[in-house]
Amino acid sequence: MFMFSLQTTGLVGLAVAENPHERLRILYTKILGVLQNIPKDAAYRKYTEQIVNERFDLVKKETDVQKLQDKLNSGQIEEVILQAENELSLARKMLQWKPWEPLVEEPPSNQWKWPI
Amino acid sequence: TVRPKNEVEHKQLCAFGEYVAEILPKYIQQVQVTCFNELELLIHPDGIIPVLTFLRDHTNAQFKSLADLTAVDVPSRQYRFEIVYNLLSLRFNSRIRVKTYTDELTPVDSAVPVHKAANWYEREVWDMFGVFFANHPDLRRILTDYGFEGHPFRKDFPLSGYVEV
Repeated sequence: MFMFSLQTTGLVGLAVAENPHERLRILYTKILGVLQNIPKDAAYRKYTEQIVNERFDLVKKETDVQKLQDKLNSGQIEEVILQAENELSLARKMLQWKPWEPLVEEPPSNQWKWPI
Repeated sequence: TVRPKNEVEHKQLCAFGEYVAEILPKYIQQVQVTCFNELELLIHPDGIIPVLTFLRDHTNAQFKSLADLTAVDVPSRQYRFEIVYNLLSLRFNSRIRVKTYTDELTPVDSAVPVHKAANWYEREVWDMFGVFFANHPDLRRILTDYGFEGHPFRKDFPLSGYVEV
């Protein structure tokens, strides 16, 4: 019970995550699974796979939580987990919206002209 | 004195703008970086919720904070109102501006599902300009008097109003 040595994240409303490596592994595999359904040439798929694979490799190699936080350089490990959850929900929504298609409608020619 | 030009930041913002434009070509019509290093994305109105959710949730663009939501009235255009969203990323300490357009009668998707802060800002835009937000939880007047008619911030609304006070 005292394995996680009574630490806090220091952030309000964000509980300490026990076994963060496992959670991140599950989340990243789910994200990669969702990304497989996007067409291969979409920029979103390319860049997100790059980011997720980088972070996944770091998580697989580094077992110490503190060093992992420093290597990822993206705040606390709980914030990284939260970010991965957000990325997963975003990937699912991208499947519906399909933003890689060409422009939906051109604006009228004077719309973005400034000064008028 | 003139503010010194920060070329590095300018280049970074240009690169990020191209990155976002590459990922979301369906909605982004134009990307520009002002000389004061402010990145602006010009969007088609159908793409408000996708673009705002992308900017909030994506790892490279965690713009979690909606700083401002306003509208600009340019009566000579076909779509006279320009809705402006200002977002702030706390993780990367950078700001971005997202602009859409609409006219008096076309409703615009509400940003409240994405950013809870948009609630009162959209009420203000509705009250002052008359831009209707679809799927807003509670769209009613917020600054004008209870029986007030008209939308004060429009350019054709006179400075001292229609009613004598």
